Amino acid sequence: MAHRTLSALALVACAAGPAVAVPPAVGERHPNFTLPELATGKPKALADFRGKKVLLIQFASW
Amino acid sequence: MPVWHDTTKQFVKDGKLVLLGVTQEQHPERCRLFAQWKGFEWPILHDPINVLGSSAVPIVLAIDEHGIVRSARPNPKTFEADFVNKTFADDAKNAAADPTPAHPPRFDALKAAAENGASAPAWRAYGDALALWGEEARASDAVAAYQKAVALDPKDGAAWFRLGTALRRRYDAPARAADDFRAAVAAWGTALDLDPNQYIWRRRIQQYGPRLDKPYPFYDWVPEAEAAIRARGEKPVPLPVHPDGAEIAKPAKAFAGAPGAPANPDPNGKIARDPGAVACEVVTVPAAVKPGDSVRVHLTFRLAPKGTAHWNNEAEPLRVWIDPPDGGATSARLVEAEKPAAATSSEARAVGFEVQVPKDAKGTVRVPAYALYHLCDDDGGRCRLVRLDVTVEVRVK
Repeated sequence: MAHRTLSALALVACAAGPAVAVPPAVGERHPNFTLPELATGKPKALADFRGKKVLLIQFASW
Repeated sequence: MPVWHDTTKQFVKDGKLVLLGVTQEQHPERCRLFAQWKGFEWPILHDPINVLGSSAVPIVLAIDEHGIVRSARPNPKTFEADFVNKTFADDAKNAAADPTPAHPPRFDALKAAAENGASAPAWRAYGDALALWGEEARASDAVAAYQKAVALDPKDGAAWFRLGTALRRRYDAPARAADDFRAAVAAWGTALDLDPNQYIWRRRIQQYGPRLDKPYPFYDWVPEAEAAIRARGEKPVPLPVHPDGAEIAKPAKAFAGAPGAPANPDPNGKIARDPGAVACEVVTVPAAVKPGDSVRVHLTFRLAPKGTAHWNNEAEPLRVWIDPPDGGATSARLVEAEKPAAATSSEARAVGFEVQVPKDAKGTVRVPAYALYHLCDDDGGRCRLVRLDVTVEVRVK
């Protein structure tokens, strides 16, 4: 399966929810968010990795 | 994305980098299967309702040790020098760090806030908590919370999208309500009408939509992944909802002409009508189309819950004959449902086909169809072939 990419990469702001992040610009701090981990269902937050460099990848299996 | 998996493997192993995935897919098990197939061992988070607010994927962000985004399009070739081996100052242009570690929300507090405040954002926040963290049995609570949110703010596209996601989740669960899939598609359509540039929302509709509007097959990789995993001696992640029909169909630019026109199996309507043993659910995706565009039609046939009959699998499979609308077209005239190997069964049966509405269509286009299937009575074993007439209604906008 070839990995497909989308042409549109524009970001839009999203109003508040329990684990919200507004996609930030370069130089801005990424808002914290908490989501369930796929493998375990347990909560994981971006802040759990503070002090470490993170490569955040949003993707789909298709 | 596999390029990043390979590029960063050593950095992750050396403790210099955390690779963190987020997937916005409806069904988490499918992404788990994908990760198993590709050997992804890094954490992947599930965001089916898109709380991150992204409008397309993939998105790759390099975030430094202070939580500051340093690159929105890192270059794999220079990633080590540009990011991994660099030390950054805490010089964010915006707010201070929120160090709150991971914690699931408190349902009771969010519910109380929604009930007391009666605001759309509060109901949406409660719906988000239930959709992300609630057990499957609470799917109806999530649906109800989002319904309250969109009733208070009908212009909130994100709430409409999340309502559709909650409805589809309930549709895939034992608590399914009869209209859930159709209502999910309608909610996604409302969301996309409010923001046509939201590609996360658009893809959720296209996943179930017609081939003429598909960018790719979405889940055609599943059999290959399962076979490859089994060949490694592992057990593939089981999929509670196996993709089929629209979810694996390849994109097309036109309906393929079938070799040899099939014959109408009951042109004069002489086969006895089903007295109510089976009900047919009709869902068109998208919920409404422009003139000349196409929809994917999902027909699901279910035996009546308190019925006294079952499918007879020793006879022909369930078939559906479709009459194209005047001036329009259908992807097929006759389609068949799969049937299990067992002699009898009682599962839901699905068929799909596509309808292109006429270029001058207005209002509602009605597509006559009928299904033929073989049933046997549970009591006494009497078997017969029956017909169920179905009218597919395609709304034109």
